[in-house]
Amino acid sequence: MNQTTIDPATFAELQATAGSDFVIDLVDTFAEEAPQMLAEMRAAQAAAAAERFRRAAHSLKSNGNTFGALRLGEMARTLELGGLPSSAEGFRAVDALAAELEHALSALKALARSRIE
Amino acid sequence: MPEAIQFGRFEIRFDERQLCADGQAVPLGSRAFDLLAALVERRERLVAKSELLEVVWPGLIVEENNLQVQVSALRKILGPRVIATIPGLGYRFTATLEAPRDATAQAAAIAATTGSAVRLPSPASRARLLIADDNKVNRLLLGRTLELQGHHVVSVDNGREALDRLRSERFDLLLLDLEMPQMDGFAVLEHLASDSALRDLPVIVTSSVEGVAQVARCIELGADDFLHKPVNPVLLKARVGSCLEKKRLRDQQKELIERYATGAAAAEDRRDGMTPGGQRLPATVLCTRLRDFTAYAESEPPEETIELLNIWYTLMFDAVGSQGGAVNRMSGDGLMAVFGAPMPPADPADAPLAAVRAALDMVEMLEIFNAERAAAGKSQLAIGVGIASGDVIAGTTGAPRRAAYTCVGETVNAAAAMEVLATGSARAILIDEATQAAVAGRVATDTVIAAELPVKELAAPVHAVRTS
Repeated sequence: MNQTTIDPATFAELQATAGSDFVIDLVDTFAEEAPQMLAEMRAAQAAAAAERFRRAAHSLKSNGNTFGALRLGEMARTLELGGLPSSAEGFRAVDALAAELEHALSALKALARSRIE
Repeated sequence: MPEAIQFGRFEIRFDERQLCADGQAVPLGSRAFDLLAALVERRERLVAKSELLEVVWPGLIVEENNLQVQVSALRKILGPRVIATIPGLGYRFTATLEAPRDATAQAAAIAATTGSAVRLPSPASRARLLIADDNKVNRLLLGRTLELQGHHVVSVDNGREALDRLRSERFDLLLLDLEMPQMDGFAVLEHLASDSALRDLPVIVTSSVEGVAQVARCIELGADDFLHKPVNPVLLKARVGSCLEKKRLRDQQKELIERYATGAAAAEDRRDGMTPGGQRLPATVLCTRLRDFTAYAESEPPEETIELLNIWYTLMFDAVGSQGGAVNRMSGDGLMAVFGAPMPPADPADAPLAAVRAALDMVEMLEIFNAERAAAGKSQLAIGVGIASGDVIAGTTGAPRRAAYTCVGETVNAAAAMEVLATGSARAILIDEATQAAVAGRVATDTVIAAELPVKELAAPVHAVRTS
């Protein structure tokens, strides 16, 4: 899958319907909330709590798709539907998600504040 | 204090405490004037009956009947639409004030009357929506989208709190997420379905759950619609609009059911709970129907028909209520009311007279309404009223709501038969022998012969109440 970090059409549409200023706040909210979701995934993984893990992945998927972070959404979806990963591979998948989240957040912050004239 | 306020052909002169029509003073009782002034001052909102009673009869304990009598009196003068009855809640002044010649002076006058700046009524499309979603980004975005669409939005982050809010405040629609802590969306739907007060609340589920099974389960549990996240704003607007429209129709139906039993029936239920089974007691039954309504409904657009029925029911309910009767059954273009039951009047002989007076009020109100319709180039309406007195079997039948108060028996059948005769003849109000005997000497009546009626012969004497 070869996607840009943020789908420009989705993001532009979000700005158009909710307002650019509002989207700046919304991205900030996501930047505050998303690390908690990720922490919840890791904690659930450590506690072998499958349902908690699935729910946290579900939330990240949902928000990722809202902002046009489609790759992030897709990775979260794979984890949501795949069940609790137990192996080292599973931990690597969550690490990869964390890295993608970081990319997505910095891209979103930049996009939200760049005024398209 | 404004000196005067004008609407239509009427002018209220506050300093003189005088109502004028076309510049001529209209005789109006002091209470009626106070009531009119109170409604005009509060015209931007619905005014509760208790509030009006306090304003018009300050410091006195007054029965609601008195208020209905005054409202009826005002309607006879101002026309039936100027004061709207909001069933179970109160009244509202609906006339538009005259466009002023001097806008500033008029605005100042209005501001002085209301004691504040003029507030515009909120548009009907603006609804109160509750969002339940544990995800903050989703909650904020959905709230923002709906606010931009003109709605008032309240948000909560779990199902438990959503239920608490729904039980303590009025909302028009719930937007419900499925995966939430404390109580998830499915459980909320189950609670709503089993709560008679919230069963009809429209619910749109918004979720990014995968698979049709979950969507199907939501619909089975009573959700009206399902929107996948991220929610498309255009789709959201359409679905919210459609849900609110459905709710409006359901509310109208509920309102009709609420109107099923007015004052007396409600008081009885409060006083000693339900009386299952039934009891035999003397009463007077009134049945009325709009003449040729089926033909009217087929020739007019449905909105016109519904509006007409609403006005007609309002007038008929007022006529019944102001004479101490209780509307017991409604059927499209007809209704049945009972006088003397479930709450017997001080003197049982008063019930027949009250019913006849209610019938006369009905005919008079309809005449005023017809004059308005004639002025608007609309067709004339006519009603037939049948009244019979005797024993009825009355009681609450099983269900916990007062709508289940019923009344059956020979007297009910006799009143229905009188109404059929009246609807098919030139006489507006027909009464049976027992009613005639009770009102003799107090109401002018004529004995009717079979030739006047759509029957070959009469099994029992029928009398007509003179209407003018």
